[in-house]
Amino acid sequence: MFKKPTLTTTLIIIVGFLTLCPVIMLLLGSFSKDFVSFGQFTTSKYVSAYTDPDFADILLNTVIFTVGSALHATLLALFLAYVNTRTDLPFKFIFKIISIIPMMIPHILFSASWVLLLNPSNGILNRLFMSLFETRDALFNVYSLKGMILVEGLLDLPIAYLIIAPAMSAFDVSLEESSKVCGASNWRTLFKVTLPVLRPAILASAILVIVRSLASFAVPSVIGMPGRIYVLSTHIYRNISSGFAADYGLAAAIGLSALGASITLIYIYRYLTAESGKFVTISSRGFKPTLIKLQKGKYPLLVIVGILSFVLILLPVIVLFYISMLPYSMPPSARAFSLMSWNNWIDVLKDPISLLSLKNSLFLGVVGATLGTILSIFVSYVIVKIRTTASGLLESLSFLSFSFPGIVIGVGFMWFFVRTPLYGTLTALLIGYIATYLPYGIRPLSSAFIQIHSTLEESSRVCGGTPFYTLRRVIIPLLIPGIVSGWILMASMFLRELTLSVVLSRPGTEVLAVQILRFAEDGLWGRLSALGIIMIFISSLLVILAAVLGKKFSKLEVVDR
Amino acid sequence: MDIRIHDLVRTYYSEGKQIRALDHVDLTIPANRIFTLLGPSGCGKTTLLRCIVGLEAPDDGEIYIGDELVFSKAKNIFVPPEQRGLGMVFQTYAIWPHMNVFDNVAYPLQTQKLAKEKIRERVSQALKFVQLEGFEKRPATKLSGGQQQRVALARALVAEPKVILFDEPLSNLDAKLREETRKELRSFLTELQITAIYVTHDRIEALALSDLIAVMRSGRIVEIGEPKKIYFNSDSQFVADFIGRANLIKGKVERLDGDHALFASEIGPVRDLNSQDIPVGQEAYLCVRPEFIRLSKDLEGAHNSYNGKVESLIFIGEAYEGEVRIGETLLTTTVDPTADFREGDTLAVSFDPDHCFLLTT
Repeated sequence: MFKKPTLTTTLIIIVGFLTLCPVIMLLLGSFSKDFVSFGQFTTSKYVSAYTDPDFADILLNTVIFTVGSALHATLLALFLAYVNTRTDLPFKFIFKIISIIPMMIPHILFSASWVLLLNPSNGILNRLFMSLFETRDALFNVYSLKGMILVEGLLDLPIAYLIIAPAMSAFDVSLEESSKVCGASNWRTLFKVTLPVLRPAILASAILVIVRSLASFAVPSVIGMPGRIYVLSTHIYRNISSGFAADYGLAAAIGLSALGASITLIYIYRYLTAESGKFVTISSRGFKPTLIKLQKGKYPLLVIVGILSFVLILLPVIVLFYISMLPYSMPPSARAFSLMSWNNWIDVLKDPISLLSLKNSLFLGVVGATLGTILSIFVSYVIVKIRTTASGLLESLSFLSFSFPGIVIGVGFMWFFVRTPLYGTLTALLIGYIATYLPYGIRPLSSAFIQIHSTLEESSRVCGGTPFYTLRRVIIPLLIPGIVSGWILMASMFLRELTLSVVLSRPGTEVLAVQILRFAEDGLWGRLSALGIIMIFISSLLVILAAVLGKKFSKLEVVDR
Repeated sequence: MDIRIHDLVRTYYSEGKQIRALDHVDLTIPANRIFTLLGPSGCGKTTLLRCIVGLEAPDDGEIYIGDELVFSKAKNIFVPPEQRGLGMVFQTYAIWPHMNVFDNVAYPLQTQKLAKEKIRERVSQALKFVQLEGFEKRPATKLSGGQQQRVALARALVAEPKVILFDEPLSNLDAKLREETRKELRSFLTELQITAIYVTHDRIEALALSDLIAVMRSGRIVEIGEPKKIYFNSDSQFVADFIGRANLIKGKVERLDGDHALFASEIGPVRDLNSQDIPVGQEAYLCVRPEFIRLSKDLEGAHNSYNGKVESLIFIGEAYEGEVRIGETLLTTTVDPTADFREGDTLAVSFDPDHCFLLTT
């Protein structure tokens, strides 16, 4: 009891370093001319960053891209959540799959597969369209803002769905029923009652998607850059990746505005989610909502949902596998099948850099997730179980990085690491990963801690268990489900990490996603696809393995009695 | 082992308000008795229990368990709960859901790193004592509420603590099981010869189980006494009212005759009361419990008898609950279910001076 404050203090120092160090270094860096003259104050970077004639266009692109993606993802999520909770559509397990599986497909591969389908010169769908209608115009040019919004919206759909679906099902149906009793039709009820009551959840979802797409790098780099459409994240990347003229000061100056926007939006988001708790009336009476009978409308809806889940889950994998077998991209035909071989796979497996990136990513995934989970256990414990001002500070600190765009944090860490021997090492990546993705570990663990009633811990103390003994024998075993899901989440994030890695990765510390980006930049789509399939395979394997182990270790039946 | 508490203070801050959960509590809990802390919710009884166990640190004061000083603000001593060697049964039982019955009960012994054989022997003894032999391998979540309660008791007893504490252990059981468990608990504790501290807000539980009851209110101990003393002869109006249903009749002491007092009350003079050392002329309440008010149709003659009118009679199974009006005063009574009374009847209302007592206002 008297030892707890020191634990809290230690954690505040660790988490404070992880989250504030890149921000402070970013700020200092933005006022410095270059790495060598760090500390000599200059505002020249701000002047050149914000007087750049292209900057207005980049900002406009960013706004269109983020808001468009938010609308796309949120509308789709609303549709799916409504159909799932309120209609008698069969095969409802599809919705669960839609909400979870796309998280397992790395964003860069998803984006690459859409380039392969819809690029204007030889995209598979465009080629099929051209030969079918004997035209020379492409059906859809993915290298455009529309294309970016299409793909980013689909990528962020699971997040939007995970916010909107619970609100939709926690909604007190009697509000709707009373509207119907008053004589309103289903449609009128939907627009006059259901949607307005869900407004906080809808806004929260839209804002979160804006934040995510602002931080997104996969879609802007793989789809936007070939079409010369730059948004903030690719604009920053352009300034640090251009060989000899890399300007980290300029990148920091630009990054600060992205960071500021992100933090502001996250604060609005947290305000809204706190509000929506009050707004959405959760009925404890346990009435199931009366499902709207779809009758004939059932089949078109089923087709739409079916196509959506196909596009989200199967299509990317199929396209990648198909392309990985071909010497160059072409639509399916007899000729295409006759040209198939394993050459791309052999090339990738012989490529030393690809193999090194595989090894590095595996190391970062396993070791990083393990360290990150251990840190998350302690942080969640302090946040949930010790309710003091200090633990409140820790909570704010640890969720702060949730709003940080990876590439901006990468630039901030760069300013730090370049002054330490960690520069260019895997440890640098490890620290950066844990700092950026800590909230993903803390969230499942803190909800697990909330479920463990404090008396379970207290009874162990009274029975003679020291705090550490209690942790080992009571708290950790009860936490295993939370630990497993936190570990899986972190490991799969780390395996595919792109945005931070494009900044911090150096020769010798290549990682999978960066290697895939290089293949995309070089137009080596076959090798990209082969490596991508290997990446998906490994991350799925890791997830399954962790789930099996977790089940074995925990004999847990019911946590909450 | 006895427990001595000196000048204990515990203050909470909630939404800017200061709440005194313990307001300078002084208390000695005698060894090997069943001692109950009784009071309405929020009176500080659970806080006191948690301070004794060490799950909370008081702001000020001292706690001795036996001769050991386990908490002292002045000497900056705080012995953590795991070193206090106590046993406790929680309101929610706090059975660990990921362990089976054996591991739950063995836990206190495992923390002491006893030999496996020894642990097995002691656990099976404890389980036998609570009549759960053969349940060792059962997962803790596959037990009924009553069985979980016994596992919690076995776990609290297995390390043979000198003191065992109970935090409303029966409140999660249904009414019938609660009654049975209460009886068992009483016989377990009597057999063990152990100091037991029992927290409850249920007066029947407190009366049935305890050797001594301490009634608490707003962080203070109002009165300590044996159950009969508390019920029949409380010193405090709050306690008299809390421990059972009570009619409080206003009046003042008119004359003293040795120990006997004549009480001039709003329903008329009451004779031969125990004076409780209340001086003549002092305003006081007369406390009469409903079950000691007798009604009869015979209006003449009885000692301390008054004429009253039956205002209401409600049949509740084992009795009638009645209201009788004497002048302006309305008294609640319990009436034999076979009695042949009706609402509106005028009856003789009487009570034995030995079964009622005076309280100072």
